[in-house]
Amino acid sequence: MRHTKFALAMLTAAVLTACGGTSPAGGDQTQKLTFSQLTSFGDSLSDVGTYAVGAVKTAGGGKFTINGDGTSKNPELNGKIWVEFLAAELKLPAPCAAQTGLQGNAAQGFSVAIQNNLSCFNYAQGGSRVTNPVGPGNVATGSPIGELTVPLVTQVANHLSRNGNKFNGTELVTVLSGGNDVLMSLTVLQTAATAAGTAAGNTAFATSLTAQLAAGATNPQTAAQAIGAAIAAESARPGNTSQTIVAAAVGAAARQPGNAAVAQATVYGPMVTKAQADATAAGNKAGADYLTANGPKLVQDLGTAGAQMATIVKNEIVGKGAKYVVVANLPDVASTPAAKSKTADVQQLIAAMVNAFNTQLKNGLGSDERILYVDLYTVSNDQVKNPAPYGLTNTSTPACGPNALGTTSLICTNSNTVAGDVSHYMFADEIHPTPFENNLVARYVLKEMAVKGWL
Amino acid sequence: MKVRFTSVVKVLGVAAALACASTASAQSAGQFTAAFGVNQLTPKVESGDISAPALPGTKADVAKDTQPVLVLTYGLTDNISLETAIGTPYKHKLYGAGAIAGTGQLGTVEALPATLFAQYRFGAPNALFRPFVGIGATYAYFMKERGSARMTAVTNPGRGVPTTFSIDNKFTYTAQIGTVVNFNEKWFADVVVNKARLRTDVHFSTGQTQHMKLDPVAVILAVGYKF
Repeated sequence: MRHTKFALAMLTAAVLTACGGTSPAGGDQTQKLTFSQLTSFGDSLSDVGTYAVGAVKTAGGGKFTINGDGTSKNPELNGKIWVEFLAAELKLPAPCAAQTGLQGNAAQGFSVAIQNNLSCFNYAQGGSRVTNPVGPGNVATGSPIGELTVPLVTQVANHLSRNGNKFNGTELVTVLSGGNDVLMSLTVLQTAATAAGTAAGNTAFATSLTAQLAAGATNPQTAAQAIGAAIAAESARPGNTSQTIVAAAVGAAARQPGNAAVAQATVYGPMVTKAQADATAAGNKAGADYLTANGPKLVQDLGTAGAQMATIVKNEIVGKGAKYVVVANLPDVASTPAAKSKTADVQQLIAAMVNAFNTQLKNGLGSDERILYVDLYTVSNDQVKNPAPYGLTNTSTPACGPNALGTTSLICTNSNTVAGDVSHYMFADEIHPTPFENNLVARYVLKEMAVKGWL
Repeated sequence: MKVRFTSVVKVLGVAAALACASTASAQSAGQFTAAFGVNQLTPKVESGDISAPALPGTKADVAKDTQPVLVLTYGLTDNISLETAIGTPYKHKLYGAGAIAGTGQLGTVEALPATLFAQYRFGAPNALFRPFVGIGATYAYFMKERGSARMTAVTNPGRGVPTTFSIDNKFTYTAQIGTVVNFNEKWFADVVVNKARLRTDVHFSTGQTQHMKLDPVAVILAVGYKF
């Protein structure tokens, strides 16, 4: 029995020591599936360098994030976006732009011949929309940069035409689009709303000032007509300013019988101030009314875009042979610094637009084994409200400081970020994520892929 | 594992039936016993959230494991004994839970909860059933922590650095309740339940940490011999 015990003890000791090191190790890093390549469609959020040419390249830019290697400052300042992290994690080649070029101002270095790179499968382009070929930054919008903004529908068509009208079924496809449909619609709407507000404000100013200036005259009605005519005449004169209009109005008013006192600054001054207040109120109301009247149409348009994106995914991607398609919904645009700088009305409108887009997208996709719908909206919404667990230190201020193109992160580098440690900021510019936030997005996508059984 | 358990239970059943007729003696002062059997170790997991950066509510679950075990006891008196066990390490699978539920197996760890029990055994040494209670000092030793492709993907993707983790070893205590079934003068069966208090911390190579309440329950079925 003694021998038996000894043998058992030896056996146990042997088991403990035989199986190699006892210290922690990475373990088996083999993934369940091996993809042949990463093929990406979409907009600036997935663009790895469509515009990294000409003056943009010279400035060290090309991606819509904090560009360049800043890992000497912080490991998170690696200049990468989510599709790059994704490709690296899946042990696939680094994604490269399927098309490069710029159609902007030649004098500024923004005119570079379009080049198609047949061995690259990242079709995503900054400014791209779902079906409309003109997005933010496109030369047709008056932008000097001249982004190509080839829409999602055409990106997919281009890929199909290069590859015998099919996907090979072994690639991982990512699709993230729609953000520029929101931004573009919003810009158009705001321009129109501002115009409506300005027109209403001007009218309100003239009306208010006229009534006040005429009130002291012996015959206010006649006086009002004379003042109104003076304002109209001065407003029509090229080179007028608000001061010259006020001067014309006051002059006409003072010439009316019994109304000489109005010429004194102490008398007409408060009247002008009140007229300005009336104008602002009327202008704001008109602008808001315009938003209210036209917002629903935009929300509807975004719903249509979401449905169109779903159709493209189903018919032109999955329908053409792709078996692993990650479709991300629109992040919470209303929580971006771009939206937070707008009025509450506009923020609500943005939220409604994003919601309409995502709802239609999700409904349109339905349930399909080949499609992984990733809810970026919910995560990004939570990140802004609850940044600490995500490791985010700032979710409201862009990390990028001003640059030659304004505030866009397209030419933002580690040398023109704002002061302080921006490595864990959420936003690079008003709308685009930092490399760290991109890494969080990659984690979330990979987590969803694991749940789906694709990892 | 089920098959193995069922057969063990059957053996015990048959053995118990045979034993009824015999006049059993049992552990008494100065006596060694050795029992060989199986131990199912089931952590009762309450996972803390992994620290930033992570999805809020990222938790882990730890699966149970069953290993062969050799239980050794020594009778200090007829009623007081010391017990310890030796065996192969328990290999536990770690799963994503909470916000990352459904991600599947993320890693494995091997645990060796070495315990020295002081026991009180009720009844006379030759009683057919001898229930006992015990309290033990435990050193929970964790080793061979292994990550996976999925663990790396959800903690530090795209950098080509596999995520590793280590679990703090802990001194703690274990409570025990069980019974001996004496078949005859030499042979007996042991049925034991151990419950340990075990709270530890997991440290990831990403700098993240996670507090885990494991409080494992061990169920041991063994057949033994008295020397």
